[in-house]
Amino acid sequence: MSTRAKVRISLGVYVLLIIAAVAAFGATKNADSSFEPANEFKVDKWIDLGPLSINKAVLYIVIAGFLTVFTMMWVAKRMQAKPNRTQTVVELIYTSMRDNVTGANMDSRMATRWFPFIATIFLFIWYSNLIGYIPLPTNTEHKFDVFGLQVPHFALYAATANLGVPLMIAILVFVFYTGEGIKKKGLFGYLGSLVPAGVTGPMAVFIWFLEFLSNFMRLISLSVRLFANILAGHLIILFMSGGLAVLLGIHAVGIIALPAGILLYLFEIGLVATLQAFIFATLTAIYLGGAVSESH
Amino acid sequence: MSLLLQTITPLAEAAAGAEDENKSFLVSPDAGAMIWTLIVFVIAWIVLAKVAFPKIGEALDKRQAAINESIEAAERDRAEAEKLAAENRQNLLEARTHAEDILTRARKSADAHEAKARDEAKTKGEEILDQARKDIEAETRRAISEIRTEVADLTIQATAKVTGKTLDGDDQRRLIEEALDGLDFSALSGERR
Repeated sequence: MSTRAKVRISLGVYVLLIIAAVAAFGATKNADSSFEPANEFKVDKWIDLGPLSINKAVLYIVIAGFLTVFTMMWVAKRMQAKPNRTQTVVELIYTSMRDNVTGANMDSRMATRWFPFIATIFLFIWYSNLIGYIPLPTNTEHKFDVFGLQVPHFALYAATANLGVPLMIAILVFVFYTGEGIKKKGLFGYLGSLVPAGVTGPMAVFIWFLEFLSNFMRLISLSVRLFANILAGHLIILFMSGGLAVLLGIHAVGIIALPAGILLYLFEIGLVATLQAFIFATLTAIYLGGAVSESH
Repeated sequence: MSLLLQTITPLAEAAAGAEDENKSFLVSPDAGAMIWTLIVFVIAWIVLAKVAFPKIGEALDKRQAAINESIEAAERDRAEAEKLAAENRQNLLEARTHAEDILTRARKSADAHEAKARDEAKTKGEEILDQARKDIEAETRRAISEIRTEVADLTIQATAKVTGKTLDGDDQRRLIEEALDGLDFSALSGERR
């Protein structure tokens, strides 16, 4: 069968399914106000341990951390002279983090010290993002019965869709690069170096103030960029893969939107998950390198 | 169109509603998650920095060293091979010159041998031929002398029968010898001169 025929048949089936859904359920609005898409991102306490209470986000953080450590240890213990496919991927990540991200933004002594931190950031965020696209039984709000066992519904969630997770890493980055800057230039030296070279007079005061604020803005830009990307990705997948149909109460919308949901899912898992982790790691390297350079 | 409107209106309502009710948990950092992130991230960082990354780096460095070593070894081998090839070429050239030398000498020696053998054979043949000629001549002479004697005797006997008397042996023989001397026996010796 030619590709054209396949496309035509698929389109035909798609249209027929929409017509069938409209015929069976009608196209009238029957909105269900009890469904709150945002609740998918609500973290209910599972085990109350005060500030260390276990919830959905904690589960994802722990899984991401475990995968980061486990996969790297697993590969590190099995390093071969002739790498297999997994080792090749790990080596690619390792060398790109070491040479292209860390090595390109700071001198080699500093790069040696900070490479593990930057690589861990990339891996931890990458795994957090990726496992966010695997449906796991985490929706404790709704459960289903399996031979008398109440199993939570499968749902998509990501630790990085919780603002606290990227914010914490951003705080670490902020603390470390500020520390590096102060260690290199002294407190006043570092604060003075915030003004770009060549700016003098009253303007320098104004610029310094802006630069000082922008350093704190980095906390927000770093964390919100990642958080918003992942949250938006999950929300739009949720909407396109049925959420919209439930929200509107029009069944046919579910079928109309599903292909978009699948495409968005592939886009998120294939590009956004890796890209956002890479951006976070690269910016960390740039901030660290910038803090010890002569002036910004 | 109506379907589109029906779609958009509740969406906007839902979004607005979500903003009011869910702002608190959707965009506010969760302290618990932050603490857990700190703990998990720092543990992962330490383990990777102390154990995993050094091992991976070591393996990569080792491979890099092995690759460098291989390249150097290959270059060494190639230089060696080129040297050997040059030597071989030289040897071959020498061997060929040597072989040609030997061949020339052998050819010369063979030619000399052949010429010598030919000369010797020629000499030997001539010697044999000479000897044969001498033998034949001697034999012929002996045969002629015998025939002469025989002819003389027969003549004496025939004369005696015809005349009925016999000459004195010696006179008769002398007479016959004189007669025979006048005859040419050269045809008997096979010499046609």
